[in-house]
Amino acid sequence: MNTVVLIAVVLMAVLGLALGVVIGWFAKLFRVETDSRVELVTELLPGANCGGCGKAGCSDFAKSVVAGENPPSKCPVSSSEQISAIAMALGIDAGESFQQRAVVCCGGDMEQTKRLLNYNGVLDCVSASLVAGGPKGCSYGCLGMGTCAHHCPFGAIEMINNLAVVHRELCVGCGNCVAACPRGVIKLVPADADVHIYCNSPAKGAAKKQVCNVPCIGCRKCAKFAPDKFTVNGFLAAVNYQAEAFPTAEDVSAVGCPTGALLTVEEHLKIEQNEPEWSAGKK
Amino acid sequence: MSKKDILTFDGGIHPVSDGKALSCNAPITAAPLLDKYRVLLSENVGKLPKPVVKAGDLVKKYQLIAEADGFVSANLHSPTSGKVTGIVDVPGPMGTLIPAIEIEADGQDEPCEPMPAIDWHKADVKELLKRTADAGLVGMGGAAFPTHVKLSPPPDKTIDTLILNGAECEPYLTADHRLMLEQPERVLEGAAISAKILNVKNVYIGVEANKIDAIEALGRRAAEFGIKVATLKVQYPQGSEKQLIMAITGRKVPTGGLPMDAGCVVQNVGTAAAMTDAVCRGIPLVERVTTITGEVVKNPGNWLLKIGTPVIKAIEFAGGVTAEPGKLILGGPMMGFAQKSFEVPVAKNTSGILLLPVELSMNYGSTGCIRCGRCVEGCPMNLIPCLLGNAVEAERFDLAAQNHVMDCLECGSCAYVCPAHRPLVQHMRRAKAEIRKRKK
Amino acid sequence: MKYLELTVGAVLVYNFVLSRFLGICPFLGVSKRLSTAMGMSGAVIFVMTLASFITTLLYRNVLQFSFGGEKIDLIFLQVLVFILVIAALVQLIEIMLQKLSPVLYQALGIYLPLITTNCAVLGAATISANNGYTVMESTVFGFFSGVGFALALLLFASLRERLELATPPEAFKGTPIALVTAGILAMAFVGFSGLC
Repeated sequence: MNTVVLIAVVLMAVLGLALGVVIGWFAKLFRVETDSRVELVTELLPGANCGGCGKAGCSDFAKSVVAGENPPSKCPVSSSEQISAIAMALGIDAGESFQQRAVVCCGGDMEQTKRLLNYNGVLDCVSASLVAGGPKGCSYGCLGMGTCAHHCPFGAIEMINNLAVVHRELCVGCGNCVAACPRGVIKLVPADADVHIYCNSPAKGAAKKQVCNVPCIGCRKCAKFAPDKFTVNGFLAAVNYQAEAFPTAEDVSAVGCPTGALLTVEEHLKIEQNEPEWSAGKK
Repeated sequence: MSKKDILTFDGGIHPVSDGKALSCNAPITAAPLLDKYRVLLSENVGKLPKPVVKAGDLVKKYQLIAEADGFVSANLHSPTSGKVTGIVDVPGPMGTLIPAIEIEADGQDEPCEPMPAIDWHKADVKELLKRTADAGLVGMGGAAFPTHVKLSPPPDKTIDTLILNGAECEPYLTADHRLMLEQPERVLEGAAISAKILNVKNVYIGVEANKIDAIEALGRRAAEFGIKVATLKVQYPQGSEKQLIMAITGRKVPTGGLPMDAGCVVQNVGTAAAMTDAVCRGIPLVERVTTITGEVVKNPGNWLLKIGTPVIKAIEFAGGVTAEPGKLILGGPMMGFAQKSFEVPVAKNTSGILLLPVELSMNYGSTGCIRCGRCVEGCPMNLIPCLLGNAVEAERFDLAAQNHVMDCLECGSCAYVCPAHRPLVQHMRRAKAEIRKRKK
Repeated sequence: MKYLELTVGAVLVYNFVLSRFLGICPFLGVSKRLSTAMGMSGAVIFVMTLASFITTLLYRNVLQFSFGGEKIDLIFLQVLVFILVIAALVQLIEIMLQKLSPVLYQALGIYLPLITTNCAVLGAATISANNGYTVMESTVFGFFSGVGFALALLLFASLRERLELATPPEAFKGTPIALVTAGILAMAFVGFSGLC
């Protein structure tokens, strides 16, 4: 009996040793250099894989940060604390953090903008834009079928009355909606700007007025009020995001935009809710 | 005629009611003069031509008003005499605003000095090609590709066949039918000129078997121009370049290739007729035969319209409407483009103005794919539309690309036969748009 | 004839996944993409063949031998020894893959080390031992068991790629409909029973 136990123990020991040696030799033969810092940075990143940094995902971005190609601040989702934590862990400079938010530059919901076509195709903005340039009278505004909301990884875009609106507290500025929109009506703006021109149409004021109740008609009222805060290019005004101070809610009431294209973010969110025309299943 | 003589391709569909009876017996009528024309600058595929007139200029009929900008571009001529009032933005056929030259007619319709007529039997190829470009000829079947570019293939491609496209497979349209029936010699002579430019001996003119009278009219004169008339089965999309080449020569155009890769050039019969005018009479392309039709049009017919005629005026020529139209389509019902404005001007490639009644343009509401395979049988390009449609709905554009969505003609056969009323063509177009965007 | 029986039996009739229900974890885990399923299949075939060969060799020559006229039987060590050998083999594969095909390594992820505890591999070794296969028979059996696993995995991966485009009711999306499909696939394989 003792012999059997002894043999068993010896056998297992020899087997284990032999296999251990083989694995050790293999590990040496097929050695791959891995940087443990990549994993560390990946853990510190939000893991949303939104692609807002321009890389394929968070681990890809981590690689580029460790390699020194990108500063940690290139990640649009991370807060400044998270970014400095990454920078500390790697002992590098965090880079200048520049938080952005998406804004839908259109106020033309169901009520405000004319629909010229009885569109009954696929409920997708890209598809709709391929049918006679979209059902809307305005060929620059929001099509209102929610392709951007569908592509937002953070659920920050809501469709209110067939108009996309951005909830700023959820938006991180990754830019997925900007890429998804066939009209280019969504823009990335500095996170602390509260007031925007909600119009995207470069058409003439009169032409815009024919199809929309809330266009920017290029009247220059805002630019005259505060030339440093607003610029007017042709028939379309814009907030000067390079300026030192952004316009405030007081400025909006002081300007008194005649069409209501100049709004604060909150006002844009409070667009009246009505029964949407293109809800799924409705014929 | 035995069944064997009727040529066709694989796949395709046959629309049950083709609506051609509405207008196929109406002779071509010249449209009355209007007081205003808006000539779109985007009359051709490629670069927009550069306007050479400005507001206030007086122009004569046939006078050059915009000059080709580069090789793939075409000249534009004034459709009538009058005063240029300026360059204005008008709704184009694709739904976007497009610059157009607005001309206020003086009512005289006075032509300018015509270009000298050319005896094409003696003229050399270069001279003929130059005239083609000068006269602003573009493909009048739909694509509006500049004809002089099409007729000068790169030297590494050998072209041995010219095919005239008289299939007119789109339901409702009868413009080419009437043209071939009423003016066969204009069509045939233009074909002969094109054949001379291309230096080819095989010239066919393909006509669908439902236009027996046109086949006979062409057949009487075809031999003297050395042209063979091919009778085609009534099958949609017989008039698509690739399907026409398949039916007549049995050759396949490779994936992503052009007809010239199969040694063929395909030309619309309307373009050929315009070629005759340009070469033998020195008249540039400023008017075309267009079918104005639909169940709600009072007097459907075929009209010789000047380019720049607003669609709303053209419908008035045909007596206006009898009921509220549901849809306005430029082109045929299968591949034409729905419009959102009646102000769209007629262009060189507007083969039809179609007003569908409300009940024919209503939405059925689509359901899930039931995998019946009818779209697969109907696809003239041998694609699998049901798979592609599902891939697009799941946003798997990579899968759609793998399954050759880029070869889709957007002919609409799949959507027409789909019992679940799936919007397959729209899915294909979205897939193409997304794939092109990604390639950039 | 014996080998034909072994082959058909291992691949179709007693298919490891669909008849014996062994190795379900990687079967469900790595079948989302056909390309990764192929990589996994290759790895499993390799491990199974080699494991069957080595374990039978050990089983016949090391676990049972005569020592000074005395017959020594160490069969009770069977599972211990088998697991040790299989774990070492998987480790080797992992090291090799990381170097030779990092993409596949990433795609297989956690499922690669899990081959260690893949009951299909241990099952193949144990079945060979219990049926008293020779070393040659056992190697053939191991290889074709791997092929059977690969067949099931690839079939299922292709099905799942198509399933991705389907629109089942919301509650069935993802794993539920995949499990239903796997059940139907297993029922289809019942049709092979009685073949040998």
